[in-house]
Amino acid sequence: MKRWLFVATLVFSFVFSLSLAQTTVTWAMWGSPEEIATHQAVADAFMASHPDINIEIWSQPWGDYFTKIQTLWASGDSSVIPDVMFLSPVVNYAADGVLENLDPYIEASNYPIDDYWPGLLEFGMYDGHVYGFPRDIGLEVLYYNKDIFDEAGVDYPDETWTWDDLTAAAEKLTDVSSSGRVNRYALGMEGGKYQLWIGQNKGSILDDMRNPSRCTLADPEAMDAIKFFADMMNNNYAMRDANLGQAGGDAAVFQSGQVAMIIQNASRISAFNAAGMNYDVAVVPIPEGGQRSASAAGAAWTMSSFSDDKEAAWTFLSWLQSTDGGQAIYTSSGEILPALQSTAKSDAFMGASDTPSNRMAFITEGENAKVGRAGFFPEWNELSGSIISPALQAIWSGEATPEDALPALCESVDAFLAQNGYPK
Amino acid sequence: MSLPSQTSSRKRSSGWRPSQQNEAYLFLLPSLIGFALFVLVPIVGAFVLSFFKWNLISPAQFIGLDNYQQLLFQDAVFRKVLANTFVYAVSIVPLQLISGLIMAVALNQGIRGLELYRLIYFMPVITNIVAVAIVFQWLLNRDFGVANAWVWQLAEATGWPIAPPDWLNSSFWAKPAVIILTLWKNIGFTMVIYLAALQGVPESLYDASKVDGASGLQRFRFVTIPMVSATTFFLVVIQMIGAFQLFAEPFVMTRGGPAQASLTIVMYIYQNAFEFGRMGKATALAWILFAIIFVFTLIQTRLQRRWVHYETGD
Amino acid sequence: MTRRKRIGHIFLHLFLIIGSLFMLLPFFWMLSTSLKEAREVFTFPPQWIPSKLNWSNYTKALTAMPFGRFYLNSFLVAISTTALTITTSSLAAFAFARLRFKGRETLFLVYLATLMIPFTVLLIPNFIMVRYLGWYDSYWALIFPPAFSAFATFLLRQNFRGIPVELDDAARMDGASSFRIWWQIIMPNSGPALAALAIFLFLGNWNEFLWPLVVTNSAEMRTIPVGLNSFQGQYSVKWELLMAAAVVAMLPIIIVYMFAQKWFIKGITVTGMGGR
Repeated sequence: MKRWLFVATLVFSFVFSLSLAQTTVTWAMWGSPEEIATHQAVADAFMASHPDINIEIWSQPWGDYFTKIQTLWASGDSSVIPDVMFLSPVVNYAADGVLENLDPYIEASNYPIDDYWPGLLEFGMYDGHVYGFPRDIGLEVLYYNKDIFDEAGVDYPDETWTWDDLTAAAEKLTDVSSSGRVNRYALGMEGGKYQLWIGQNKGSILDDMRNPSRCTLADPEAMDAIKFFADMMNNNYAMRDANLGQAGGDAAVFQSGQVAMIIQNASRISAFNAAGMNYDVAVVPIPEGGQRSASAAGAAWTMSSFSDDKEAAWTFLSWLQSTDGGQAIYTSSGEILPALQSTAKSDAFMGASDTPSNRMAFITEGENAKVGRAGFFPEWNELSGSIISPALQAIWSGEATPEDALPALCESVDAFLAQNGYPK
Repeated sequence: MSLPSQTSSRKRSSGWRPSQQNEAYLFLLPSLIGFALFVLVPIVGAFVLSFFKWNLISPAQFIGLDNYQQLLFQDAVFRKVLANTFVYAVSIVPLQLISGLIMAVALNQGIRGLELYRLIYFMPVITNIVAVAIVFQWLLNRDFGVANAWVWQLAEATGWPIAPPDWLNSSFWAKPAVIILTLWKNIGFTMVIYLAALQGVPESLYDASKVDGASGLQRFRFVTIPMVSATTFFLVVIQMIGAFQLFAEPFVMTRGGPAQASLTIVMYIYQNAFEFGRMGKATALAWILFAIIFVFTLIQTRLQRRWVHYETGD
Repeated sequence: MTRRKRIGHIFLHLFLIIGSLFMLLPFFWMLSTSLKEAREVFTFPPQWIPSKLNWSNYTKALTAMPFGRFYLNSFLVAISTTALTITTSSLAAFAFARLRFKGRETLFLVYLATLMIPFTVLLIPNFIMVRYLGWYDSYWALIFPPAFSAFATFLLRQNFRGIPVELDDAARMDGASSFRIWWQIIMPNSGPALAALAIFLFLGNWNEFLWPLVVTNSAEMRTIPVGLNSFQGQYSVKWELLMAAAVVAMLPIIIVYMFAQKWFIKGITVTGMGGR
């Protein structure tokens, strides 16, 4: 009898301790130390309201993140593979089968997918299913340094600006000394953001970003857009791509006053505010007859298909992507334009801080955002990293003209597509 | 300094017993296990892998010689990295040898402060390549770097239309930038090895040539160069092997850019394996690199008979 | 000294001093930038001496990343790999140099043959091997695969063969085991070669970049070079902080080098003759 009691107590205490035991959800993302601090605050808020789930952060700088996480999957070990991961673009990873299809969870819990910006959720989809929720919409606006504009006597940019206005302003903002050494460039913009100009000019990179059959970079729309960007650099208006990277990136040169404008997403706001900069934002100038073409893309939170506790991961994921949960915390940290329109139009975004005052620029770009900056097929990384970017770099460095380089580039792209069996 | 010396032909131990057999294997065991696991098996593995298409995640797919065939006959980037790597090798090796030898000869004149000079010249050899490459990236910045500053200042002062190189943004200058970094980093190594070789040259040879009325330059040409030729041969071989495998310098300083102008074979291997998920292609590429190094070393070994002077009666 | 020779020496010194400045300039510029205020970094013409010494750059750089951990990792990995290499290769070299066994020449030839295979070929299969062993992102991966060097075995075998065999014979007469001969005769008689090899291996492991880059993943496992590289890979680079980090990465080795110059040079040249 005593023995039975003993066993019963043991079983009971075992079950009891199980019910109290915490599940740990490993949460992976990239970011600067400041950004990681925000993520930690989000994790803390979640754990405060969900004592049964413990969130553990795994972070890497952006430059290493994707390589590192890929090798983690390769290990196949569910104890080291993060449960909820920040990824971009989702399609590459969904195709490899390492991500969980979220459709059943969305249906079961009536998760409001209509609240996302138009087109944005497509970025988290593969083969018609949702595999990830974009956290934010990484669209760019034009940041400008008011002090430099005042000093050069240039009016602040507004939504009426066209490419010609931008060029005219750039001419005045650029400061070249007699030797040809540039003291200040008008614009700092990463070469890799060239698709913005192409989209504004109604062009594209490939005829179909999911199942491409040919390269369209040599078509007039794309050609003119690339010419516009190349001319900005050739005239010393924009810092050349390699120089920008070498000087420390656009945020560094904007802060140190080496450039008057940058084209960047909302992630820089808190750093610029902390540095006490006198700046504001505006919508990005578009060509005559062009369209706004901010990128409807954003890194997305995804769930690992290896996860040991998918229910807990979903609980966390859906909380993260709600106006009452993670979205509001991220938004008021001032670093993102949230993926949910309701969050963006709330005070959490519009009234987050005094600077930049023209926050409507983000909303305007958001309502006109377009999909299609990156390819939605697995070989895109190789195509872009090994063929497209190097050829464009030759243009950005002023060593090749778009007229010469783009037709040749398109030939190699078409050859690559054929070699890899596209269109499928 | 010691070139692998001729194995001494001392008489064998007389105390040999059969039980040594098992003992010997015991001594070898730790080394053999590691050797098998991290050298032999990987060599075989690399060979097999080069016939597959594999991204580590989805199942590997046998594709025969496709990786090799694609690289050799279709891949334009491969041709580019091959050309880049050759440019590095044929410029780094001679420059390294010439500057190292000049420095060594200068230091070998019995001047004061030899130790201090050697300390300074050798310092970059022991420093970390990543840290150094970052510093050079900063030195070579077009508008704000120190390397260009005096040219800009001269241009501003005189009004001459001269512009310094746009080092890391120019597909022409990116390679010299990497070469300068490599030279700066390794010149001390070549110098110290030559210095040791020079100190082994008997003074009597120089004295004899002086008696014959040879000038300093002639002595350099007809005494010094032949006397250090064995060292030169050795340096050519190892520097070439090193130059063919250049990775960290361009990886950190230029990321292979602009437009792949400074991309090397090893960087391309890294990209294929760890960025594009092409494990098989990357291994095939590594074997091609091995073949190139092997052939070049073979050629060097053949050629050395014509110009390397070995002391006789040693 | 003749007058002509003295003038010659003055020119020589001039030449060598200019060379020295070229060698030292990057170090100086790194140090100078590391102490500047953010706004001084981009001034033109370049400001050689910072207006005031901002030591706080160092604390900022060191707290932005776990540098202490990088140091610990580099140290641990370099020491362990070196010790492991020396132990296993000296045991094997002893067998090759002093013991007779079946297949000795063949096995030694296999060792030698692998010297020709560049590390690049082994990189990817070793990476895959490490994954299969479950060692990815661990000290095991950092320490074990680089520790088996045919080169060290070859070098030590050459050295061991130079030690008079009569010493072994005498010891054997006294009933010493092979292990004892290795430990009490061969090893103590190879002091300089072992020291040179140890310095060579330590420096090589300390500065190694590609392998740790490939097999580490978390910030906790990074070595100094990999940590420094990822510091640079972050969004926006602050040059004064990056330079401070570079100084911290280089300084200890440079200080040790200043005091033990001869040993460093000996280690790298004597040993380096065989592999780079």
